[in-house]
Order: sequence, then structure tokens, then C-alpha cells
Amino acid sequence: MVKYLLRRLLQLAVVAFIISVLVFLLVHLLPGDPATIILGPNDSPHNRAVLFKQLGLNKPLIQQYTTWLTSVFHGNLGESYLDHESVTHIISTGWPIDLELIIISQVIAFAVAIPLALVTSRRPNRPIDNVSTTGTFGMLALPPFVIAPIMVAIFAVGLHWFPATGYVPFTQDPATNLHDMILPSLAITAGSIAVYYRLFRSDLISTLQEDFITMARSKGLSSRWIMWRHAFRPSSFSLLAAAGVNIGALIAGTFIVEYLFALDGLGFSLVAAVNQRDYLVVQGITLVIAIAYVVLQFIIDFVFTVVDPRVTRE
Amino acid sequence: VTVGNEFSRRTFLSRGAAAGGALALGAGASTLLAGCSSSPSGSSSTTTASGSKPGVGSGSPVRGGALTMGIIAEIDGFYPPTNHWDTNGFLYANAVYDPLMAVAANGTIQGYLASGMTSNSTFDTWTMTLRPGIKFNDGSALTSTVVKTNFEALAASALTGVALKQVASVTTPDPMTVVYTLTGPNPTFPAGLTTQVGYVVGQAMIDQATSNPNSTLIPVGTGPFIYSQWQPNDHFTCTRNPNYWRNGLPYLDSITFKPIPDTTQREATLRSGGVDMIQSVDPTTITNFSGSGGSGYQLVDTQTGIIGQPTFSYIMLNTVTPPTNDLSIRQALAKGMNQAEVQKIIGGPPAKQATGLFLPGSPYFSDTNYPTYDPAGATQLVNKYKAQHGTPSINLMTIPEPLEIKVVQTVQQMWEQVGFNVTVSEVEQATIIDDFVLGKFQAVTSYQFGAVSPDLNYVWWSTTTISPIGSIGLNFTRLDDPQLETAMLEGRHTTSQATRVSAYQTVNERLAKDLPYLWIEQYLFSEVALPRVENFNNLTLPNGMAGYSFDEGTMFLSQTWLAS
Repeated sequence: MVKYLLRRLLQLAVVAFIISVLVFLLVHLLPGDPATIILGPNDSPHNRAVLFKQLGLNKPLIQQYTTWLTSVFHGNLGESYLDHESVTHIISTGWPIDLELIIISQVIAFAVAIPLALVTSRRPNRPIDNVSTTGTFGMLALPPFVIAPIMVAIFAVGLHWFPATGYVPFTQDPATNLHDMILPSLAITAGSIAVYYRLFRSDLISTLQEDFITMARSKGLSSRWIMWRHAFRPSSFSLLAAAGVNIGALIAGTFIVEYLFALDGLGFSLVAAVNQRDYLVVQGITLVIAIAYVVLQFIIDFVFTVVDPRVTRE
Repeated sequence: VTVGNEFSRRTFLSRGAAAGGALALGAGASTLLAGCSSSPSGSSSTTTASGSKPGVGSGSPVRGGALTMGIIAEIDGFYPPTNHWDTNGFLYANAVYDPLMAVAANGTIQGYLASGMTSNSTFDTWTMTLRPGIKFNDGSALTSTVVKTNFEALAASALTGVALKQVASVTTPDPMTVVYTLTGPNPTFPAGLTTQVGYVVGQAMIDQATSNPNSTLIPVGTGPFIYSQWQPNDHFTCTRNPNYWRNGLPYLDSITFKPIPDTTQREATLRSGGVDMIQSVDPTTITNFSGSGGSGYQLVDTQTGIIGQPTFSYIMLNTVTPPTNDLSIRQALAKGMNQAEVQKIIGGPPAKQATGLFLPGSPYFSDTNYPTYDPAGATQLVNKYKAQHGTPSINLMTIPEPLEIKVVQTVQQMWEQVGFNVTVSEVEQATIIDDFVLGKFQAVTSYQFGAVSPDLNYVWWSTTTISPIGSIGLNFTRLDDPQLETAMLEGRHTTSQATRVSAYQTVNERLAKDLPYLWIEQYLFSEVALPRVENFNNLTLPNGMAGYSFDEGTMFLSQTWLAS
């Protein structure tokens, strides 16, 4: 297993490096440049040249990249061209928001999807199964930017249960923080619930038709015991894989929700930086996202080896 | 970091631009009457619970309290020479700084940090006297030397330098006097000091910017509030300046500005009590908070009460590249665009017909003979052109913003119906400004021209700011009209208000004839507040005169209080 994990770790390091190169190149391929944003339309070629030199943008791309990468290895991701805020600071203020959104939304998603799938898979095509399947199908069709305004209109403007916007760091006031994060988290939960429920339900139904389940039944084991002890684990592979991809996509992928709820998360900062051609911010955030993503996949791979030891043997 | 849309356009095309136009190339002589209406600033379509006028305080001011305001976008910093202040930027600036000059409700330019400005008889030397006893929040005094140092930093900046090109030198004969010597006469010079180049920061801030230009600059100002905490894109909080030079002000203990970029969410946050007031540039905010929807809220907007020129949205045409270099094509485009239908798509309160730079009620307003919607006439012009040159093709450009895309798609259909071949392209906000200054566009949506004096827009239409395509030119459309130039200079030169009015009416009429811009509608700003927010639209200037309280989305909150 150790050999397997080391191999995966090496692969992930290579992936992170390739991503850093691609991000660097793609960012510099974008039309426009920071000088235009900083100087505005009244600039002169001379001033632009001076600013390019100040920002180090006059150097060859490969030199810019190696300079940046060296700084990264020293823990310095640079600073915003526009407001001179350090990229590390931007990330350190943004990632807790993304992390919280992901944790709360995924806890809710698993808490709803798994029990519902366990119940409905035992009696497929019954009314409760039909209602759940149709309901989750509907959830899949509702993107966060549709759900969010509806929830805000009902729960914030109408009932005044939750704020429409606002964020207090968890470390500052945990209760207010959780209160503030409920609506944004719910807005991105619906899609996850639908995916997890449908995958887990279909895998459970399939597993419950296996011979070893019939054997367990013939031994007189209770349905609950069979479900938890025999069916749950082999049915959770797809769920686990889907969770890995889904959670990965949510890392800074919640821009719309962050925009709507005015949360200064990584996604919001990243899109703003792209619009402003703030190269170092884009590169820094993207690198962190890429590393977070590959680390997450590594963790998922590791969990796979625990859930299904055959993976390492293969 | 800053979200793009609201920020960039307002920065470059409205306020910053106005600053540039104010001082860059001006010459002439006239009074400072400017284009003004005598009505108080801002219209208001709802009233407070107590029945008083929205934004005007009733009863005695109450001290204390924390105001939270939902704003449209974040700014990129507090340093006037290098940061791009849009509507949001001026809200922040009015909290922590003071301007040298300010606009009064009657349209005249009055002193703020300055007690006044006087000129020589030829209007090419202006002497400013500073108010005594004013200190920055770091304890240093406001002196003529600091004002001069500010000027030098602004003049050296690529961003703001163009606005000060006309200033040949600045001298400080004594600690309270600043003398500006101009390269030519300009009677509206003080108007430019109401813009970004008129805000004064402390010497320590300039020193920091000079010694370490890459550091984050904490504002050192004379303003009613002091910088407390700024987390970009989350909030900016400033607290009461206990030593503010205006006695008894401010009333509030603190103000927190919260950027909430989505208009619907900003409105929802106000309705759910998350903020005390919001600003908006979406005309639907006005309709949402009018009538029954506005019950319990105070709404102030710019439908009326504009001093000078309002900001207009329009389609800008390149006048040197074919086919829009042909006047008949521009006429066809104007006749082929149903302005009223486009206005309906934008939404908001019923818009007035836009035929020029000025609104009815402005002394400069005149019947411009701007083409009305006439699809038959447009088709005729297109057919005539087609016979000689083939089908005219137009590329209509916009930014990737849903409402703007909807507008250009509608216009595309209208123009295609009269015989044009129209393609639509979306250009990122970050690069569209480049296309403007380099003239790399055919037709493009934009908005601009809000200014307390028409002189402030000189650079955008002057023949002296035209450059070849591919070179930087502030006359974006490249319109070369000597009659327009003559009229603008006459407006600046004259000391006769009648001649000035006549000159700017001519400017308006020339633009309607030349058609570098196809007008869409007035660009509306609004502010909505809870009833407990008192006096946010009732500025009194240091000399006791009523101020221009709601200037195209910005305001001074030093005299605002929260009802107990």
C-alpha cells in the first residue's frame, strides 16, 4: 500500500507542476494587461514601459515563471498589482469561506442523501422512492443562482430567519458565522444531494440483488444489519468517487454563490483577479486550488484503499 | 482586488474622465455658473415614515450609531494619484478625506478645505486660500506645502496627470495660500478640484507612496472619519474623527461599507435589515422601491435635480473607419434604432427621450434635431449606400454583461431590419477601454459625460485629442468637427452666460448632426435607505451654503445620523 500511495503522491506532484506551468501561460495569453488597468486610458507608451519594468513583465516569460516559482518555494506568492495586498493574505482570508461552504454543504448533502437512499433502495418504485427520485431530479435542474434568490426572498426578506448577505469569521463569532453560512451552503447543496442520492440508491439496489446478500438473508439476518454491514460498503464506491470530484469542483467553484452572497471567498477573488488581469493573484489562487484538488484526490485514493483493498493489489 | 464591471467603466469613463476633462486642455473665460439647475439634488419618489423629504433629516441630530451601507463594488485603494475612484471610491473618499472645492446646490463651485478661490482678470492664475486650523488625522497640519506636494504627486501620475496638464506651476507664497498658474485661461478651473485631483492626503501618505510604492497605503486625511479596517471585497470600516475640523461633525460613530455586487442581493440585504442603506446604478432599483415596494424606505435618485450634465448611456460610433465614417450610415443607424424599445429592455422608470447631452430644464438644452426612429428612412439611406459600396457591415461591441448583451442583440435586430449586416462581439471589461482609446471599434455600448460643467467633457470631443487608429486618443470616436471645437472653446472663453449657453447648445446640436453617439437614455443612480437613516441627502457646505448632496451616486455622510 505504501508503494501505491508513494506512486500516487509522485503523480500528484507532477500534475501540480504541469498545472502551474499551464496556469502561468494561460494567464499571460489573456488579452489585456495589468498596466492598462493600473494606468487607465491616459497612459503613454513610456509610462506603460516603466510600469512593465516595475512589475517585471518586461522579462521573458520563462524568466518570469522561474522567478515566480522560486518565490513560491520560499512561501511568497507575490502581491496584487492593484492594491498591493499579498496573495497569501488574499488566500488566507478566502479559503476559510470556501472550506466552510464545502463542509456545511457536504454534511447536509450526505445527511440527506444517504438515509434517503437507504430507505428507498429497500423498496424501489414505491411512492416514497418515486417522490425522492423526481425531487432529486428537479434539484439537479436547479442551479445555485436560481435557488439562492428564491431562498433569500423566502428566508431572508420574507421570514427574516437568515441574513441575505454577510459573513463573520468562525473564529470571531461561531454562532453568527454558522447563521450567515446556512443560506449560501444550502444554495450549493441541492445539486450534491441529487447526485449522491441517485448514485448511492442505484448502487444499493444493485448490491441488494447480489448473491451474498441473498445468502445473508437466508441466514436470517435482519434487513438493517444486511444494509449497514453487507450492502453499504460495496455500494459506496461510486458515491466516494463522485464526492471526490464534486468536492474538488467546489474548491473555488462556488463563485456564483460567493458573488450572490457577497462572500469574499477564493472563487470570488479569482474571478475578480482575472477581470483585472492581476496575474500574481490568479496564479497564486489557481496554484493553491490545484494543489488542494490533487491533495483531495490523494485522500480519496487513500480512502478507496481502505474501503476496497483490491485497489492496491490492482 | 476589484470586481470589474461597475468599477472600470465608472472609473475611466465618468468621474476620472471628468477630472481629465476639467483641467487637461481647457482654455477660455466664463463665469463659474456652469450648467446648473436650481433644484436641490436628487429626486425622491417616496417619503419617510414621518412624511419628511427622503434623505433630509427631521428633528435634532442624534449622535452615535454605526451605519452600514451596501455598495456596488470594491475600490482598489485610497491614494488619489494612483487609484481608480468610481462612485464607490468617492463614497470612501468623502468619509476619510475632504476635497479642496465642492459643488453647491445652486451649481456654483465653493470652497471646502479651501475657504475660496479667486482668479486674475484673465483667468489664468488662480489663488486658493486654505481654511486655517485643519489637521490631518495623524496630527499634521493642512498647509499650502502639503497641497502643493499633493499636486506634484497627482501631476506625475499617468492616471491623473492629464487632468493637471494645464497647470504650468504651483507656488505657495504663504502657508495658507496656493497659487496655480495655468498655461491658458480657464474660468472653470475650480470645478476640476471637486474631482479626484481635488482630494488632499497627508504628507506621510505621500512619503510612504514615494518610498514604497508597492505598499498598501492607509489613508491619512482630514475627513470626518478615520480608516479603521479594510478587508477588500468584504468591508471597509471607518470611525468618527474626534478632531474633525467641522464643529460637531460627524454625527455617526462609524460607517461600514459592504460591497454587494449583485443588485438583487443588495436590495434583499436592505429589506432583510442587513444594511441601513444601499446605492444602485440599476434603474430597476428605482421602480422596486417606488410605490408600494418602497413603503418604509427612503429613495433618492437622479431622475431630476442633476447639476450640469447627467451621465448618459449610448452607442458610440467610430467616425473614421468605414462604414461608420459615412455620415449617411450613422444617420441610418440612428434612424434604425428604436430608442424607446431599447429603454424598455433596460427597465426602470419610464425614460425620457434622449436627443442630446442635456435634459430639459438645463439652460443648455435645445431641440437638436436628433434623428427620430424612422425605419423607412434608414432603409432608404442603407440602400443608397449599398448601391455604391455593397451591404454595410457593422460590428456592435459590448462587455459580457447580461443586460448589455440583451440591449445589443435587440439593436442588432433593429439594424438588420433596415438592411445592415450586424455582428455582435463581447469584449472583456479589462480590454474594452484599450479599444476605446485606440479607436479599435466600430460601434460599442458605453456610458459617460456626467459632469457639473460641460467644460469637463472637453477632451472627449476636441479635435486636439484625436489620434490615428491604433494610437492613444481621448477623442474615442475620432470625430473631427472644427465647428464643435470652436463652440467648445467659445463656451470656455466667454464671460457671458448667454454666449456660453449658446455655445453649448451649438455643441449639443453639432453632436446631433455628426452622430458620433446614438443616445439611449440617462444613466440613473439611486440610493435607498431605511427610515432611521437621517439627513444623508442634505449637505451643508463649510460656508453654510447648501451643497450638491447626491452627485451621480456619491454623497457626503458627515452630516448623516441615525434616528434613535
